[in-house]
Amino acid sequence: MSGAETTTHVIQAGAGHRLRPLLWLSALSLLALGVAVSIGSVTVTPSELLAVLSGEGERLHRTLIFELRLPRALAAFGTGALLALAGALMQVLLRNPLADPFVLGLSGGAAVAALLAMIAGLGAALISASAFAGALLSTLIVFGLAHGTGSWTPVRLLLTGVVMATGWGAIITFLLAISPMEQLPGMLYWLMGDLAYAQRAWPVLCLAVLSLLVVMPLGRTLNVLARGGLAAAALGVAVRPVEWALYLLASLLTAVAVTTAGSIGFVGLMVPHMLRLALGNDQRLVLPASLLAGGILLTLADTLARTLIAPQQLPVGVITAMLGVPGFLLLLYRSR
Amino acid sequence: MAADMAQAASWRLPSLALVAWAALASAASAGAAETHSDSQATTFGCVSDDLAQEVCLSAPAQRIIALSPNLVELVYAVGAGSTLVGAVSYSDYPAEASALPRVGDSDRMDIEAILSLSPDLVLAWHGGNPRMQVDKLVALGIPVYTSDAQDFPTIASTLERFGQLTGHTTHAETAAQQLREGVAELEQRYQDAPTLSVFYQVWDKPLMTVNGEHWISQSLAICGAESLFADADALVPRPSIENVLAADPDVIITGGKDASDTAWHSNWLRFPQLSAVRHDNLFVVDPDLVQRATPRLLEGTRELCQRLDDARERR
Repeated sequence: MSGAETTTHVIQAGAGHRLRPLLWLSALSLLALGVAVSIGSVTVTPSELLAVLSGEGERLHRTLIFELRLPRALAAFGTGALLALAGALMQVLLRNPLADPFVLGLSGGAAVAALLAMIAGLGAALISASAFAGALLSTLIVFGLAHGTGSWTPVRLLLTGVVMATGWGAIITFLLAISPMEQLPGMLYWLMGDLAYAQRAWPVLCLAVLSLLVVMPLGRTLNVLARGGLAAAALGVAVRPVEWALYLLASLLTAVAVTTAGSIGFVGLMVPHMLRLALGNDQRLVLPASLLAGGILLTLADTLARTLIAPQQLPVGVITAMLGVPGFLLLLYRSR
Repeated sequence: MAADMAQAASWRLPSLALVAWAALASAASAGAAETHSDSQATTFGCVSDDLAQEVCLSAPAQRIIALSPNLVELVYAVGAGSTLVGAVSYSDYPAEASALPRVGDSDRMDIEAILSLSPDLVLAWHGGNPRMQVDKLVALGIPVYTSDAQDFPTIASTLERFGQLTGHTTHAETAAQQLREGVAELEQRYQDAPTLSVFYQVWDKPLMTVNGEHWISQSLAICGAESLFADADALVPRPSIENVLAADPDVIITGGKDASDTAWHSNWLRFPQLSAVRHDNLFVVDPDLVQRATPRLLEGTRELCQRLDDARERR
């Protein structure tokens, strides 16, 4: 017990240094949004951009920047932030670096429900709503089954999630095999993750801010929880309610991210990892940093997706993986 | 925390409703604006598209972007090819269409590229273009005509409507007239021809064909033939080889650029018990002629009819 307290103490000693990385990440976020707004298939020079921002400039440029690029960049930022935060929360919850909304089958449930809605020919709003329901259903199944007759461990939860994810994957393949030809392209692009269809940025952004406000006061509790359920219980943390709340919050974040931009993998797994390798294990720093870094990654990835081989548009999921895998491997190699 | 999440969940749902409402409202107001300009003397004209939306222009369209290869062909067919300023990938007919600036693929358009060409009319493909992207164009105030041409009568009336939108009415009416007469002539010539059963192979792996609702089946019907899987539910059914062997079609037709493009035939030559193989009734037609809903479909149908005539002689 005293050992755990010392750890908390050591973590607290670093409190003053927590602000600096966050300031850096905030600056980088603004830079990423700036880049996303300035780059596109139509070239807008910096001086034209300034003119637009000061309320003048060509009508075409104003439309491009305010109607197309800015909403999409903000949606990308918000989606990336939600996915990274969801991943960070799950990794605390399961005390396992493999945890991620996608590994645990949440996005699989969302994808199956969304594909069913597409096959039924429902509109965009209903596709989003059913994706949301699918993610929550998957959460309940995974958590309920892992809970079972009482004894659940993070390993058991993880295993249940992985098995569910595999099951959802099989259903997705089945749905793709039986669905009408003309619907396949839309379904595939949705499965690959795509921000071209993101309609509004504010739901993801508001949820990102809200969930940070919820999670930040819990930072110390999460730090303790990350060290193990027993230690946390010994330190007076109500382990079970906190774990339920974490899982539900992570599902909500995933569901909203998936309904906004389809199924984008890798951000939730990779971003919290990279940050822990770079910044250490203090959740009070890792959680807000994940939020910002996830947003930065997805904003830049989406900018590349729509400009790399323009006018051909790529699904953003391809870019997050292509950017993320080498960066992650490099970081892992250097941290040995 | 649970309360926060419930709150977040509850504003998410109204937000969806709000989005839907905003889309409806903007569509309604766009409609209102069009009706309004309709009453003004400057209005050039309105046509109703295949989704029964009124498309109104204040002048003949001068800068058209077509979001599918067949719509590009239809614009050229009314003599308005020079008004095209943009097209999607695979817009390769007529040859000069290949040089048009590209605005992405039909299933993923680059909205920025479309805007930068400042179109005064966008021709969208229902069922091919993502609806959200088309809605975005409408919301940005661009006149959008949505086409869902799937049979000869609609292709002909599309020609007439494109003629009105571009001011090429005479040319368009001639083209539509020729199409209707051509179809009527084929229908008459083959009305008493013995019916053949045909397996039209759209794709090899997986095996794909068309059901009775597809225009290819309608073309086959004009030639006095019946598509093997006409009763299937899906527009593009995926039967197994067994299904085809059991149904034993009189004729098998595959897509190919010329008569030597018979790679898909080897699949069937393994089964000499098939009537089509026994009588050497495996044919190739140019898929661009029959798989695109354009006036060239008449040419493709003529080719189909000829092949089927050959097949009747060999039977």
